[in-house]
Amino acid sequence: MKKHQELKKTDKPATRRHFIKYLGTLGLLAASPAFAKNLFNMLDPEGKNKDLQKAKNLLGGAGDLLASQKDIDYESEFAIGESLALEGFQRYGLPVKDKELQKYMSLIGRSVARNSSRPDIPYYFVAVNSPLYNAFACPGGIIFISSTLIKSMKNEAELACVIAHEISHVTHKHALNTIKRAKMFEGMGKISQATMKGKDSKKFQNVIGGLQDVLFEKGLDKNMEFEADLSGLDLAYKAGYNPKEFVRVLNMLKENEKNAEKKGSWYSTHPPLPERIKKCQDKLKSFPDAGTLAVLEGRFSKYQKRL
Amino acid sequence: MKRLSYFFPILIVTLMLQNICLSADNVVWVSSTNASLKADQSASSQTIADLSVGDELAVISIDKKWYKVKTKSGKEGFIYRGKISDTKPETMASQGKSGGGAGGLLGDLTGSGITANSADSSRSIRGLSPEAQEYAQQTGKPQEFRDALDSVLELKTDDKEIEQFLVDGKIGEYAE
Repeated sequence: MKKHQELKKTDKPATRRHFIKYLGTLGLLAASPAFAKNLFNMLDPEGKNKDLQKAKNLLGGAGDLLASQKDIDYESEFAIGESLALEGFQRYGLPVKDKELQKYMSLIGRSVARNSSRPDIPYYFVAVNSPLYNAFACPGGIIFISSTLIKSMKNEAELACVIAHEISHVTHKHALNTIKRAKMFEGMGKISQATMKGKDSKKFQNVIGGLQDVLFEKGLDKNMEFEADLSGLDLAYKAGYNPKEFVRVLNMLKENEKNAEKKGSWYSTHPPLPERIKKCQDKLKSFPDAGTLAVLEGRFSKYQKRL
Repeated sequence: MKRLSYFFPILIVTLMLQNICLSADNVVWVSSTNASLKADQSASSQTIADLSVGDELAVISIDKKWYKVKTKSGKEGFIYRGKISDTKPETMASQGKSGGGAGGLLGDLTGSGITANSADSSRSIRGLSPEAQEYAQQTGKPQEFRDALDSVLELKTDDKEIEQFLVDGKIGEYAE
């Protein structure tokens, strides 16, 4: 009887130990889903074992939960970007009606983007008719540059550097991280294409509204902008454009600051120019041969005249 | 005896760490689409092998803008510095079917994603994604904005055009 009581006494901790052990195993499997899937298929190829099926479903659920908290899949990211791009046209203006110019923008953009840290997602570039000095990136890779900003540039490297800055926002997923940080998706459950439509569509519209407020009014966190500046310099250099030309763009913006319209422009959505210029100049010291890289005034001027 | 039982695990861990440090110094990854292994330090030299984003390369030597490297299959050649990275790039394949970020965390178990390429080509047929279409309808976006976005998504450039653009501008590996 005493032995039985002792056994019973140890029952609870043993169960707890087992639970912790299995929880640990489940955690490890959740961390490696492809492995987990293969393991389940190997153990129960026909799906007859109910316990394994339950574990599989449990892991799937855990995956949904982790996905909603951690990140957004590419298709959903792009759908957010498309919706924001529609707002971008309304806010800043329609594309410049010149196929040759738009093609030129795409060729520069894709030449740069394919050296980025997200090289195999599709990127799109558009010049829009706008009186503001502005450029911004929608999640998923749709990048806007205003006609005024292009008109004020001197060469192709300047344009490539601004594009590289915007591509860096996409590769670092700055907009997505901002909306997650601000918990804009709260109440939507899993962030996916399914929750952007139907009964949750109103919430999705609110998310896009919040994102517009960030990208078109308040601007991203200034550290994100500094990160995009420095990553953009790296990217332009990797692609073969002289990264020093980015500092020329920043200096040009500084010179024009007095008379420029601020609201909704790079002036209001980006950190102060002197701080950015200083950080970029420090970074440029790590590119000793930058001066030997492409600048291309002639080709740029040919397309700039079309604006 | 007891000391010896500690000695071997410590030795193994030390050797593993040393191995990691050594290999990390000499390994780079292909980080650019349309990259190839060249016979010489010139883009116009013979192509030894086409490389994919994420391919691991062992660095043999570095000469200005060109790296002499060896592929995992043992092929030796040169690659332009802009096409490699010392960190593994994020690719659709490395992120599961859904691609782009940890949304593909359990992609194989739960996902029904499509790759960027298939998303790209299907988009050219059907225009905006259903989500963006619904967003446009519900927020009353005028047709001209939808057409504007359609025109942006329809604009295609293939690898040949990009290469020619780089050649004409003497950019990157085509610089003189």
